[in-house]
Amino acid sequence: MAKVIVKDLHKSYGDNEVLKGLNLEVQENEVVCMIGPSGSGKSTFLRCLNDLEVPTQGQVIVNGHDLSDKATNINLVRENIGMVFQHFNLFPHLSVLQNVTLAPVELKKETQAQAEKTALELLETVGLSDKANAMPKSLSGGQKQRVAIARALAMHPQIMLFDEPTSALDPEMVGDVLDVMKKLAAQGMTMIVVTHEMGFAKEVADRVVFMADGLIQENGKPEDVFEHPKSPRLQDFLQKVINV
Amino acid sequence: MKKWQVAVVMLLAALGSWFAVGTQAQAKTYTIATDTTFAPFEFQAKGGKYKGIDIDILKAISKKENFNYKLKAISFGAAVQQLSANQVDGVIAGMNVTDERKKTFDFSNAYYTSGVVMAVAKDSNVKKFSQLRGKTVALKTGTAGSAYAKSIQNKYGFKIKYFNDSNNMYNDVKVGNSVACFEDYPVMSYGIKNGIALKIVSKQYDAGDYGFAVKKGKNAELLKKFNAGLKAIKADGTYDKIINKYLKSDQASLTGETAKSRTFVGLFTQNIGTIGTGLWMTLELTVISIILATILGLALGVLGVMPGKVGPAISSTIIYIFRGMPLMVLAFFIYIGFPDLIGHGFKIPAFIAGMITLMLNEGAYTGAFVKGGFAAVDEGQMEAARSLGLPYWTAMRKVIMPQGIRIMIPSFINQFIITLKDTSILSVIGIVELTQTGTLIIARNFEGFKIWLMIAIIYLIIITLLTWLSNWVQRRIN
Repeated sequence: MAKVIVKDLHKSYGDNEVLKGLNLEVQENEVVCMIGPSGSGKSTFLRCLNDLEVPTQGQVIVNGHDLSDKATNINLVRENIGMVFQHFNLFPHLSVLQNVTLAPVELKKETQAQAEKTALELLETVGLSDKANAMPKSLSGGQKQRVAIARALAMHPQIMLFDEPTSALDPEMVGDVLDVMKKLAAQGMTMIVVTHEMGFAKEVADRVVFMADGLIQENGKPEDVFEHPKSPRLQDFLQKVINV
Repeated sequence: MKKWQVAVVMLLAALGSWFAVGTQAQAKTYTIATDTTFAPFEFQAKGGKYKGIDIDILKAISKKENFNYKLKAISFGAAVQQLSANQVDGVIAGMNVTDERKKTFDFSNAYYTSGVVMAVAKDSNVKKFSQLRGKTVALKTGTAGSAYAKSIQNKYGFKIKYFNDSNNMYNDVKVGNSVACFEDYPVMSYGIKNGIALKIVSKQYDAGDYGFAVKKGKNAELLKKFNAGLKAIKADGTYDKIINKYLKSDQASLTGETAKSRTFVGLFTQNIGTIGTGLWMTLELTVISIILATILGLALGVLGVMPGKVGPAISSTIIYIFRGMPLMVLAFFIYIGFPDLIGHGFKIPAFIAGMITLMLNEGAYTGAFVKGGFAAVDEGQMEAARSLGLPYWTAMRKVIMPQGIRIMIPSFINQFIITLKDTSILSVIGIVELTQTGTLIIARNFEGFKIWLMIAIIYLIIITLLTWLSNWVQRRIN
């Protein structure tokens, strides 16, 4: 069964309908990149997948749990979905290590000692083992984002959501973060990535989804989407992105 | 249980026992209220004991008639209100028997007949009522002097300014804000003899009788005993002895103070015991109220940022009510209004009432800035915490609160200082804290400037210490 199933997803804020009926399935180990112009609803869509936004209509099923079902314990579902935000959202009052160990320890997934061991391994993976005791404010943007990835991974999630993870970074920091994400993809993590990094999408994605005007306009293999865009919207978008 | 839980339980237990003790002690003994500053009828002598004609008469009568009583010295206004709210059993405070008061109270036979006089500053040339036109006259609420002045106000066209306390009224005349005051003759002449820089410029106008009051229809037995006792002490000469003792002697002989004790240092060492007691009361009230207000404020703040509509609505309403109400009104409501509402002789000890007042008022202010502090934490923090699978309350406790409280620390320090200062307002319900202590000492020795300076310095010292402590905590947290 697919890891994520989205059926006829609608989301409105008052009279403004941001998502106008989306359908998508994401399989285990699949990396899906979502591209499209700003305001097309990509981030809102992603946030519906772990209930940070509550859909107005439609169904979201993650790891077999229907999020709209009142009986679903959203906290348990979220434990299995890691999320990485554009603005990192590290906890500024906690050290890097404490940021990573907070959730597993509070949720009694691991003892403090176990959690610290896992955290140090994860920091090693993202190349920041020397920053374990640093406070977030002393880190660069790229370092913060890699800590955020480690923090999400500490819960051993089955799915990772990335919401424009490199958009707030200085250009020279972007590569380090993308490298970590590539490594994750190579390990077989199921990932949904909202991004403007077309190079990353081409290289890493199993599938690319193009969204515009609150709808999925195209959905296919990277080479199909990038080389043979069908809709004028996508052709127009790619033109603009590539010319930049 | 965790440490803080133990602390809360102990605090509640302490409060509970307080209530219990408070109600038990009043079971058999009459509580009789009197004024704090109405020499020679009542005033605080050195060492904090009350003396005066009223006090001695009450004592003599109680001996004759074999009853026990507990004296409660509060302002005259508060004493009368508490009597009508059934918080005390009787009032003896140089209280005039008037027709209006008879509607609410039952009076004993008159124990003293007084006259009202007009007094002006020593160097003033005001001699006649006609010179008062357009000027301001100082009066003390609820006194015969005030009733008399009110009755001639239209005729002579003066303005009126009310005080709760004789000394403030005298001072207002002394410094020239008001041109004259009206006061009972024995009180005025006694004050002048003891150093008040005023002079009496009128004859005595009939001011009627002083009586001992109980609430209408209540404590008839006490009233009967008072009348019988009064008759007895008049018959055996005790009454005359008391009157002469106070009207013919100066204050020093009664209070034991000497001229050389009138220097700043002298006054301080002389009154250190009284001031210390008041200071202790202020500190006790401040610390307990700060703790309770902080707990309430945090609860209101958390409620205020909860998802949904119910929590924030409750929080806003509570904050709106208790922040919008003046502290003094709230204090009167809880101490006098609330027991009246419940009835059945329900009483709240003044200290508890004061504590609840401060908790609600300061708690509401605290709630407002706690809410603001939590709201000031970036939304992304809650989202990040929740996306990790942390439940709402865990996210609140581990992520939002530690950050919010850092933002709030300066507001907390500010609120602690305000709480300390606000304790002084509670003197209106008869709590003898630091400010009230000052009033009482001045009622005895009329050294307004030196005593207020002393009290001001003490407040500044505590506030400085409190600020240091808070800054130290702030450094530790950051």
